[in-house]
Amino acid sequence: MPDELQFKSIRELAGMIQDGQVSPVDVTESFLSRLDELGPSYNSVVTLTGERALETARQVASDIAAGHDGGLLRGIPWGAKDLLATSGGIPTSWGAEPFRGQTFDNDATVVTRLEAAGAPLAAKVAMIELAGGMGYNQPNASLTGPPRNPWNRDRWTGGSSSGSGATVAAGLVPFAIGSETWGSILSPSNNCGLSGLRPTYGRVSRAGAMALCWTLDKLGPLCLTADDCGIVLDAIAGPDPNDPTTYPHEFTYDSNLDSARLGRKFRLGVPKDVTEGAQDAVKANFEAALEAISDVADVEEVTLPDLPYVPIVRTILMVEAASAFEDFLGEGGPQKLTAPEDHYGPYARTAILATDYVRALRLRGVMAKQVDEVMSSYDAIAAPTSLTTATPVDEHFRRNTSGPGDIVGAIGNGCGLPSQSVPSGFDSDGMPTGIQFMARAYDENISIALGRAYQERTDWHTRHPADLLPAG
Amino acid sequence: MASEEKKTLEQELLFAIVKERYGSLLSDEQLDEVRQSVLGLSGFTQALRSVPLTNDIEPFSTFRPYRGD
Repeated sequence: MPDELQFKSIRELAGMIQDGQVSPVDVTESFLSRLDELGPSYNSVVTLTGERALETARQVASDIAAGHDGGLLRGIPWGAKDLLATSGGIPTSWGAEPFRGQTFDNDATVVTRLEAAGAPLAAKVAMIELAGGMGYNQPNASLTGPPRNPWNRDRWTGGSSSGSGATVAAGLVPFAIGSETWGSILSPSNNCGLSGLRPTYGRVSRAGAMALCWTLDKLGPLCLTADDCGIVLDAIAGPDPNDPTTYPHEFTYDSNLDSARLGRKFRLGVPKDVTEGAQDAVKANFEAALEAISDVADVEEVTLPDLPYVPIVRTILMVEAASAFEDFLGEGGPQKLTAPEDHYGPYARTAILATDYVRALRLRGVMAKQVDEVMSSYDAIAAPTSLTTATPVDEHFRRNTSGPGDIVGAIGNGCGLPSQSVPSGFDSDGMPTGIQFMARAYDENISIALGRAYQERTDWHTRHPADLLPAG
Repeated sequence: MASEEKKTLEQELLFAIVKERYGSLLSDEQLDEVRQSVLGLSGFTQALRSVPLTNDIEPFSTFRPYRGD
């Protein structure tokens, strides 16, 4: 790969293509070569889609030569989490051995939209089997093997969008699409030192994506910068008749939104005790991050309403996942999964009473309204993306956390709120930490603006694993 | 019956349903793990049931009648 392409942001690469410094075909071939060479080192690639990517790249080159206008994603290769349907015989495995080789006739809406924007699909990337919905508790839970972190291959990437995290962090693609039911975009963003955006529920069509939990599933980008997340979201967001839960209004990325244009500082709420149970480095880096943006953001401690957030969201997730895979469970399908704990993990959920599920749905409304009332005094809630850095690839990660649980994650996913995570430093082992900015529903531009403001004042997002940097 | 005993009895009855439906697909060790998980769900359900809800609080999802034309 030409050294000048690796670890460039989408905006930088788009400028190089626009200026004629590189062609879309050269860019695509370079990243395909890197995916082929390095993808297996991280167990991060399921299927290379080179022929399809080059077809898109050639079309883009032809459009540019003809003087046709286009957006910033023209000629920018990307990876799709392997739960997004792809036509043309390209398999969609859902990360799971029983679905290896599964094919679909249609493309997921996000695939169609990104290709329409001129972005070549370079690979279907690895994921935790069935998006982690069977209850896995250690990283070896994928048909491609345990996902390895580019910052240290003995640590894991986070999940379930593991390949989306590893491929971007290793410079194998400039961006990837992941999905989040609870934590699956933000966790790999944190562990791999990336910028990841969980959009508002319904902002991005789920049509053609594997369903784990209909009322919690969301699709979003993992990139090198918050600005890149905005560029990608602009292309994939918007109403879709094939997904009736999509928000009916279009989204336009506002790359110029900042404190000056607001005419005031951003207002950040930090939940009381939000770093309880966090590793020392996570806590220190979070406090330093808030200080780094103090010229554009005021911080205030906020007390959240006293509600059983984790039980509400876990109940919804468990019941909908059990239903989504009920036939699979009845056929004994889980026994063919990779992780031993996934062989039996989903069965207990079938014991949750319908009245308890409906009660969780009723409490979800109480939660959404009470949380929004609190958030209406702020532009966003700031919190560590994760209380820990990436844990060893051969350890049970659920044993490595303490404290009250992922309250911010429960609120964000249960209420369907957008959150931008950006890297905030490293621990003493050189593993990345992250900070997230969670905004009110449909305020992605606020979340992204806060991430951008932080990245204008820090350089964590410009750092990459030393062994992957260009020589010299 | 004490409250803890009632909770355990409820979870054991729910586990019996799981065993009846799926027991033939699972080994004894796996069934024991499932049982522990079902017992563990009690904490979640008790947390949900402890929050009072009045009759007017509906599920936070909207049903819309469908008409194809």
